[in-house]
This record gives sequence, structure tokens and C-alpha cells, in this order.
Amino acid sequence: MRGERAREGARGRERAREGGEGGEGGEGGEGEEGARGRRGRRGRERAQEGGEGREDVMAEPSSRPIQTQDKIIEQNGKNRAVSPASKQTAPMHEVSVTDELTIPKLFIHKAHEYADKVALREKEFGIWRPTTWREYFERVRALALGFHALGLRRGDKVALIGDNRPEGLFCEMAALCVGAVVVWIYQEALLDEVEYIVNHADARFLIAEGQEEVDKGLQILPHAPQLEKIIWDDPKGMRHYTQPSLMPVNEVERRGNELQIAEPDLFNELVGQGQGSDIALLFYTSGTTSKPKGALLSHRNLLKMGQNLMRVDPYYSSDDFVSFLPFAWIGEQMMSLSCGLQAGFTINFPEEPETVMHDLRAIAPHTMFSSARLYEQMARSLQVKYADSTRLKRALYQWAVGLGGEIADKKFAHAKTPPLLRVQGWLADKLVLRALRDQLGLTRIRNAYTGGSFMSPDHFRFFHAIGVNLKQIYGQTEISGISVLHRSDDINPETVGLPLPETELQISPEGEILARSPAVFEGYYKDPEATRKTLHEGWLHSGDTGFLDDRGHLVFFDRSKDIMLLSDARKFSPVYIESRLKFSPYIKDVWIIGDQKPFVTAVLCIDYNVVGRWAESRGIAYTSYPELSQQAPVYELIEKDIRRVNQRLPESARVRRFVNLFKEFDADDAELTRTRKLRRAFLHDRYSAIVVALYADANSVQIDTVITYEGGQAAHIQTALRIQDVVR
Amino acid sequence: MMRLPAGIYHETYRQDQQWWQTRFVWARMLFLFLLLFVVLPLGLPMLDASIGRYVLGLANLVGYFILGALGVQLLIGYTGQITLGHAAFIAVGAYVSALGMLQFGLPYPVTLPLAAIASGLWSVLFGLPSARVKGYYLIMTTMTAQFVTVGFIITQYVAQVGGRGVAFSLPPGTITFGPFPVESELSKYYLMLVLVIGALVVVANLLRTRVGRAWVAIRDNDIAAEVLGVNVVRYKLLAYFVAGALGGIAGAYWLTSLSAVSPEHFEFALSLELVGMILIGGVGSLYGVVFGALFWALVPEAIQFGVAGLYPFFPELFGKLSPLRLVAFGLAIILFLLYEPKGLAYRWWQIKNYIHLWPFSY
Repeated sequence: MRGERAREGARGRERAREGGEGGEGGEGGEGEEGARGRRGRRGRERAQEGGEGREDVMAEPSSRPIQTQDKIIEQNGKNRAVSPASKQTAPMHEVSVTDELTIPKLFIHKAHEYADKVALREKEFGIWRPTTWREYFERVRALALGFHALGLRRGDKVALIGDNRPEGLFCEMAALCVGAVVVWIYQEALLDEVEYIVNHADARFLIAEGQEEVDKGLQILPHAPQLEKIIWDDPKGMRHYTQPSLMPVNEVERRGNELQIAEPDLFNELVGQGQGSDIALLFYTSGTTSKPKGALLSHRNLLKMGQNLMRVDPYYSSDDFVSFLPFAWIGEQMMSLSCGLQAGFTINFPEEPETVMHDLRAIAPHTMFSSARLYEQMARSLQVKYADSTRLKRALYQWAVGLGGEIADKKFAHAKTPPLLRVQGWLADKLVLRALRDQLGLTRIRNAYTGGSFMSPDHFRFFHAIGVNLKQIYGQTEISGISVLHRSDDINPETVGLPLPETELQISPEGEILARSPAVFEGYYKDPEATRKTLHEGWLHSGDTGFLDDRGHLVFFDRSKDIMLLSDARKFSPVYIESRLKFSPYIKDVWIIGDQKPFVTAVLCIDYNVVGRWAESRGIAYTSYPELSQQAPVYELIEKDIRRVNQRLPESARVRRFVNLFKEFDADDAELTRTRKLRRAFLHDRYSAIVVALYADANSVQIDTVITYEGGQAAHIQTALRIQDVVR
Repeated sequence: MMRLPAGIYHETYRQDQQWWQTRFVWARMLFLFLLLFVVLPLGLPMLDASIGRYVLGLANLVGYFILGALGVQLLIGYTGQITLGHAAFIAVGAYVSALGMLQFGLPYPVTLPLAAIASGLWSVLFGLPSARVKGYYLIMTTMTAQFVTVGFIITQYVAQVGGRGVAFSLPPGTITFGPFPVESELSKYYLMLVLVIGALVVVANLLRTRVGRAWVAIRDNDIAAEVLGVNVVRYKLLAYFVAGALGGIAGAYWLTSLSAVSPEHFEFALSLELVGMILIGGVGSLYGVVFGALFWALVPEAIQFGVAGLYPFFPELFGKLSPLRLVAFGLAIILFLLYEPKGLAYRWWQIKNYIHLWPFSY
């Protein structure tokens, strides 16, 4: 889902208009506003120039040149793409998505079909406690009737907040059964975000996980007149909460079970009233611009999207899937709700967010979908272990991953793999690559998807080198998450692939990506103006620019505003440089600066664990992140990595000066969005002193700032940061 | 804890506690089973009868050591009760079994459990001081078991029973399992396999129950264990009982390899050797018992072969062969403790980890 929250982003025509006013947007989310305002002026040109800009920054010896959008249109006359016909054959046992079919109806059907098969597992106290479809069904029925007894009716909104856990899915499904609309809120969302969404959505019920979420609910209660009940499921810390608006989830189930005895047919009646066109989810796109907007997705949208995805990559009821990304992310809903129901695979919930990597390895899922960040983390974990390994093992690893990379390149280029290479590759796989996949828990993976943010070609190639079938997904919340996808036999790291079945793709004369499919959303909640701008005759205006290459693949520019200009008008792509730098295991986050500046500079966040271990092995003493980040040897280490990346960048895009930040970027400090994208404008404001120092002749900068903790407390930080020049 | 391959997960604690969780381990165990039950006892003698007999004889010695050292491991490695008198309980088992057969005409299969119970109870008696004393003092009290039991009670009184002289001779046909005499190396070998595997299974199962956890808790910190509600004295005595019973079985089994039983078979040296075995094998590990027993039985043999190989070049060695063997063995132990202080089991664990974590180190 690259560009998922791009909605406002880069629509060529409107940008020029909107850009200026963006500056004084409301709370928190306007990360991009300032930068957008500045770039807005150039909006129009960029739509045309984007392609060239891309070529410029991505130029490197091995990559083939990317044609610009204009050339493509001229040469091939091709600005529309549909899914390849051969792939549209429906697999066996496909659910037929009729107008009447809703998610709850399908749920009842599947629950009876699978009955004693395991539907969900949650890791608790060290074991994966299973829930069968029968139990799943019974709990959902009890909850649905309980909600009904509490007064929830068709069309009402229910807000859910919490970690990934079975109860979350039970409550969501139960609310859908009653005919209510589900609104997921990011668990770490700050108070005013929660308040805004609950009020904007007119949510009558808030389903919170535990004490922390209940506290948020109780605090917004006075400001949310329509909010009636806060329902919780984790009893930890809840003993002394006596507020009348609170109710534990098992009380809801108890009432539901009573109602089931009194009116045994009620549940089926409630579900039977649903229609495919009913709204199922109200999805708030966390705004990089202004207030979040609520996208309305119908049952049919969601079912169609899952169906079309599975026509490309079928999933089976014997598959395992690990649910660890926030439910408030459309990608997770897409897998857990839509595909999970249609394919009937088992959804596994990790023990804690911290144990995800470990739990993922234990399950070894058959399919997974995650943002680039997780894959970056996985690659980093291997690189770190590699660095700590013995010489022999390092040599073997180099040899195997190098061979895997060669084979991956052949695959990307649709070239034949020579037999000798194939034999070597087989050997490399048996000796090393298999073990690497085992380390990550990707031994059984058939399809791994990445989306939501830019992934560097280094990472993409790395995963193919170790034999993981990694694919790009492109889409946005407004098209239920996905519209374009790589096919297993046709993967190209430079593109995001071909449209799904039943999905049409078109490039507007301005270069904007338009899409039309049964999964296109119904509109924004309470925002007809935005709806009108986004939906024209069924075509979704994505706000992203891109073009179709000669194989019909969509090439997508990570929001054209992500191309920046130096003061001498030379182009560079900060996102591209950032993701390349992040291939270094020592660098966790990067913020590239250089818009309207004479050269490119970088603010880096070191990876505390990795750099810490590195420092320990060299006897460098440190006590904290700020101290470690300012050590001279650490600067040398980071500079070496920057120099390596610089070599492969055009001269204009090379990082000249950098500074190690005293902390990691954090969404709670509003430095990142909840999907962990940089909020550049906000960073510019917040660290203006650093930016000034980077372009002055200073070799250190005094920092005086306030950081906010999750609970809302603030801490005052005063420190000096070194600035280092990168030797050419 | 062993690192499992990706994709192994458990829905119940029963699955979580299973011994053999992967197909690879099942295959390995099947291979081991075939090796122990078919290839070694039946396949090898077909190639060469004398080598077959030699190997089986050695295997029986290993089995005897395993049975003996298992009890020591339980006390030292799992409960933290240092014992230097374990030969006493082996002796009790051997004498109970022998007297049962010779004096009371009981069949051997009946005397086996009797020996175990008698040794266990005898062991509890000498475990009683452990309620009060720890560490070095406990070493002293367990040594007492050795000297009181073997040096005094058995030599002075038990060995006089029936007026057979100090050594009770066990004529052929004394030890039978129903109609089958346990006389050939092969029959002793199968008896050994059943006893060793049975003992290992029982102990390994005990260790993953409440009892085993209590023992480990006492070993790690007896005061903390008591605070947690473990009845320290009771579990210590239980450990002495189980360890003694295992010793009793070892003693009763060893009768099959003896033509006569006398107190010299259960000297203080044997007690020390059993401790040496678990030190070399690895304290606190069942693998350690097996590896230690293998080391203790096989390395002297290997040294003997080595020294015999030198004979053509240094004929004068011939007379010094036996002392030289001891020197080499002593050297081997010193080197072991220097370079493998955590025992062979730890090396085994490291090898497994090397493979599991391949191509990384963690």
C-alpha cells in the first residue's frame, strides 16, 4: 500500500491550489504541510518531471534506465492496464460475492463449514491457545446479541482500540453481525486523536483492550456525548474501576447468551438483514495532512478485494497467518478479515508486540503482509548476526547470498538461469539460504507482501536472494487496501506489478494513477467535498503519480512531492536515499534534508542495540542512547556507511554532512506518522536548530527540546550534538 | 532450552514438553534404537564373534556405569547434594539380590525390585543428615555411608551370612529370568538395555514434573525453594531414595557380570569414579551421565590399544603397561577438566547449537 495515505498528497492540479493553505492545518497530523506548501508551487511541473527526477536519483550502474511517463505514452500508447486475462480464472471453492453477501453471512457459513478446525490461536503463557471456528462463532454470537441488548443497532458506529488479539476480532465480527460499522483506532493514538475519531464517527460504543485504553476512553467521555459504553476485555488493573459506563466483555457475552435463550432466532435475523452494500468499516486515514478522513468501506468492497487478491495468490484453509500489524491498518483488515474468512486460514496472535519476531518464527506463516519496516528489521537482524559470525561462516554467507542475488537478478530480468548457476544456487540454498529463512521464520512462506512505504531495491533484492517470494503491493485505504500486485512469475523491483483481477488502472493526462474496481470505497464519512474530489465515475483518484511500463507494470513514484530540489535545481529523492542508508544495520532511521539547500545532509538515528553491541566489542563505554550516539568512533562507523551509499548516488544526491540524533524518531513525538513515515515539515520545525547548524559551518549544535512520553509527561532535554562532514 | 526449527509451535503444554518434537529427532532416535537393539548385539557378532563379544561386554560395563552414575547425577547435578558414598548403595543392591537368590531362593526378577527398595531406604538413612548439613560437611556424612556400609556392615556381618566366605560365588544358572538364564553377553546386554532405558525414562520424566522442579529449586537455592513452598527435607530424602534405588538396580544388574560378589567390588574408588563420570560427562544433564559412562569405560580401552600399539617399538613398556594406562587416563581427565570444564554434555549442546544457529553464532 504504497501511498496509502497519499490521498491529499500529490494530485498535480489541486496541489498548486491546496498547497498554500496547508501550512496552518490543525493538530498533529500536518507533518507534510510546510514542505508541501513550498513544493506546491512546483506542483504542475512535477507531474511531468517526476519520471526524469526518478531516473536521476536512482541512476546506478546495474539498474536499467526507467522510461519517463511521457515516453511510455508516446511509444506504447499505453496508459491503461488490466489484469492479465489468464490469471482471472477463479480458483475452486471460490465464494461468489453476490449483492446479498456480507461478511457476517460468510462468517456463519464458514463457521459451520470448518466447525472444529482451528480458526485463531493466541500465544499466552508460552503456548498457542487455539480457538476453533465453533467457539469463534459462539463467542461472536454471544457478543453480537449482547451488543444488541445494550442497544446497538444497524448503522451505529463502534470504535475499537487495542492490540491484536482474538477478542478484538470477536468484537469486530460481532459488531458487523449486528450491522454496525466498525472504526479501528491505532492503539498508541494520542488522546486528542482518539477523541477526534470517536466524535467524528459518532461512535456509541468504545471497545478498549485494557486499562490503558479504558483510561483514554474515560478521559474523552465528557467530550463525547454520544459515547455510551466502554467495553474492555483485559482485566489487568481494572479491579477498582467502577464507572457506570464501563462494562467487561464477558458481561456483554453473558447478556448475549441470555438473549440467545430468549430469542434463539434473533442472531440469524440480525445477520440476515445485512446487504453487501452496507458499510462495514469506517477507516480513518491518519493524516499527513489536516484532520484524518474517514473512508467508508462496504462489505462488498472488502469481500471483492480479498477475492481478487486470492485469484492471484490463492490461500488455503491449512495456511497459517500471523496478525501483528495494527488492526487500524487496512492491510491487516484485508488479511485477517477478508482473506482470513474467505480462505479460512488460521490467524495467529503473538504474545506481545515485543515478541513478534520470535512468534513469527514459531508459526512460520505461509503468507504475510507487512510494511517495509519489518522487512528492514529482518534484514538488519541477519546482517548483525552475520557481522558477529566467524570468518568461515561470513565467507559462506557472502557466497550464498551473492549467488542468490545473481539468480534473483536473472529472475527479475526474465532471463534464463544457466544450469551451472542453478546447481550452485541449489547448493547455496541447502547450505545457507534455507538456514537464513529458518532464522526469520520464512521457511514456509509462499507470498510475502510489502506495502505502505518505499522499500529500497537493496532490501527487495536481498529477500529474493535468500529465496523469499517478496512482492510489492500498491493500493490505498480507499480501494480497500490493494489494487496492484506483483505476480509470482513476473517480479520487478522497480515496479509495483499488475492490477488485480476486476481492477482497471489508468494514468490520467496529468500522470495521476486512477483505479476502478468493485473494491473502490463508498466515500468519505461526512465529507462530500473530499469524496467528490476523489471519486469520478467510479474512478479512484489516488493522488499518486506513476506510469505503466512496457510490460503493463505500474511504476509508482513515492508521491511526487518526495522528489526535492537543491537550491541549484538539481533533483534528488530523499526517500530513496533514506531507504538506501537504512540498509546499513547500524542506522535505524534517517531524515534527509536538502530541499532548496545547496547540498544534501542527513539526520540519523543509530540502532541502539546494534551499535551498542558494536561499541561493546570495541571497548567503547557508554551509558545511554544520547551518549552512544555522540561517540566519535560511532560517527566514523556511520560515516563509512554513508560513504558507501554515496558512491552509488549521483553527485548531487550525496550526503555531505550528517548528525546523529540523541534519540530515535517516535510517533508519540509526532515525528513519525502511525505508519512510521517521517513528518518532514514537523521535523523541520522541531529541529530547526540542527538544520541551521548543518548548513552553517558549525561542527556542533546545542539542542534544547522537550520530549513527550506516552502517558503525556514531558521531559526537557539539553545536549550538544556533533556534526560531521562526510569525506568524499 | 533447545532451539526448534521455525514452524514448530505448541497448542498445549503437553506438546510443549514433548521430548521428540521434530521429524529429524524421531529419525535420529529410530536410528539409535536400531543401532542399540539390532546392529550392535546382532549385526556385529555376525561379522566377528569375538569382537562382538568384546563390544557387548564393554557395552554392559557402560550400562552399569550409567545406572550407577544416574543416581549420583540426580543427587549432585539436580538436587545439589554432593555424595561420595554411592558405591555403598550399589553394594546394598548387589548383596540384597545375591542373598535373595542364594539364601532365600528368590528368582532374580523378584530380587531386582527388592534390591532397589532396600538400597533406596538405606540411602534415605544416610540422607537424613542432609536436613541439617550442606556442602563439605555433607561430603563427610556421605563418605560415612561408604565406610560404614561396605567397610563395616557388609564385610563384617553380611558377608558372613551362610558361611560362604567373604566372596559369595554365583554359580552358573543362579541368575535366570524365568526359564532364560542371563549368562551370555547378549542376554546381559538386553537386560542392561531395558534397565538403562527404563531408568533414563523414569528419571527424565521425574525431572519434568513437580518433583524434578523442586529438586532443581533446592539445588539452585534451598532457602528460596523453601520460601516457594517446597518441602526441602522431604524432596531431599526423595532424591536420596531414588538415587539409592537406582544404585540398587545397578548393583543387582552387575551380579550378572560377576562370578562371585565380594566387598572389593564396591570400594571407595568406585564412589569417586561415579562422581568423576558426571564431572566429565557434565553436571546437571542426563546426556552427561551417558557421555561420562562412555568416557570412563571406553577411554581406558582406547589407551590400552594405544599403548599396545607402541609395544613393538618400546618392548620395555610391557611391564609398565598397566601403570602407564593409569597415567594416561589421569592425564586425560586433567586435560578434560582444563579444556572442557562443563563436560561432554555441554560440548554436545554446543555442537547442536552450532547446527541449529547455522550460519550464525546466536
